[in-house]
Amino acid sequence: MRPSKISGFVALLAVVAAWELVARAGLVNPLLFPAMSKILASFLALLASGEIPAQIARSMERAAAGYFLAATVCIPLGVAMGLSERVYRALEVVVETLRPVPPPVVIPVAMLFLGIGDGMKIFVIFFSCAWPILLNTIDGVRNIDGLLVDTARTFGLARGRTILKVVLPAAAPQIMTGLRISLSITLILVVISEMIGSTDGIGYFILNAQRRLKVDQMYAGMIALALLGYILNQAFLFVSKRLLRGR
Amino acid sequence: MPLLEVDALCKSYDGSAGAATLAIENISFNVERGEFVALVGPSGCGKTTLLMCIAGLAAPSGGRVAVKSQLVDRPPPDLVLVFQEYNRSLFAWRSVLGNVLFGLEAKGRGGKAADERARRLIGLVGLEGFERHYPWQLSGGMQQRVAIARALAYEPEVLLMDEPFGSVDAMTRLELEDALLAIWKELGTTILLVTHDIEEAIYLSDRVHVLARRPSRVVETVAIPLPRPRHQVTTRAEPSFMELRNRIYRRIADAG
Repeated sequence: MRPSKISGFVALLAVVAAWELVARAGLVNPLLFPAMSKILASFLALLASGEIPAQIARSMERAAAGYFLAATVCIPLGVAMGLSERVYRALEVVVETLRPVPPPVVIPVAMLFLGIGDGMKIFVIFFSCAWPILLNTIDGVRNIDGLLVDTARTFGLARGRTILKVVLPAAAPQIMTGLRISLSITLILVVISEMIGSTDGIGYFILNAQRRLKVDQMYAGMIALALLGYILNQAFLFVSKRLLRGR
Repeated sequence: MPLLEVDALCKSYDGSAGAATLAIENISFNVERGEFVALVGPSGCGKTTLLMCIAGLAAPSGGRVAVKSQLVDRPPPDLVLVFQEYNRSLFAWRSVLGNVLFGLEAKGRGGKAADERARRLIGLVGLEGFERHYPWQLSGGMQQRVAIARALAYEPEVLLMDEPFGSVDAMTRLELEDALLAIWKELGTTILLVTHDIEEAIYLSDRVHVLARRPSRVVETVAIPLPRPRHQVTTRAEPSFMELRNRIYRRIADAG
């Protein structure tokens, strides 16, 4: 393990220890601020009972659907806008008007049309994930060295295959940047949408625990989310490193 | 019938003020099958533009280019251009082997035969053992070898090279010149190479077309009767080598 990682873990342990001490000393109302040992026990119990895994699984279904939908729509669209000035100009105004809309604002509108089911949440996640992926793809494609495309042309590569074999791999680092930004946005929006209108999912679980004053469970849900975010990011970095080898 | 014909080619770019800038005015020459021909001229004589037109990557404003009597109006299938900026032209996401395989994939060739051919070319340019390396792990000279191997794996009938050794150090340059001559002898590919180095042009080629600028044109074609195989020390020491060098130099200097 690298020294920086070790010191990171030490810092984390220090925070946990400080939490425990503050809670045990009774400095804060224990109803609102239970000891970390109690929270962790509750977390492990919820993990063992399958409650947290089930809630996370529900959230992940929605997150994955919205995220991959955004990637499937926005990468090809971004390539088209990056390659063709005409397509770019045709869509530029639409993109620039919709993009500044804060994603949570879309939730009430989505609820009107789609109710409070999965469709609404997937749409909200899709809407918020779309922009980083789209804009980074456009930028990545536009910044490709023209010499790479000329190289493909001198080897007689047709346009469609040039996009697959040269444009996409050349723009891949920036497309991955967009996908990574959107990954963290996905997590935020799935939780918000579940807090506003849902009967399951980790966002609902956390809000519901708070309403029922099961404060230890609320914190346990937060720990689960933090771990989930960490694991997702690490998994993304792992895949991204494989995909971009040394770039 | 010459393999490559360039006939009264001219190319102008639209200037910012609406005035057209003339990059090439009336260049004509031929390249015969199996020949090694060099174009030599001062910088700014439109050499790169000329190669882009021949490779079908830029449209000429006038005149014509033909490969095997076929008019070039798009990148011709039997011709590949090796760019001067090899470091920008290699695919960073592909290994040496992957880069060399690119041209074969473009031709729709894959499998074991393609793999073997790519490995043979990598061996020919002296990069055996570097198949799995990535371009950024190689020196400039080695990167240029990859670009040459990639072009030759495609089995072009004509190989165009734009200042291929312009940005490598002097020793590497001599090495690469000899490597190119050895490959040319082995494969018999027709080569048209552009350079501003008069001695390099003489050392490598059968014929040298001397270009002048403003307006860009071929001012003289010099046959190089030096015997082959050539040698960096003995060939360059021959009196006729120096005579050719001086003649071409004066021609360029006089033409301005």
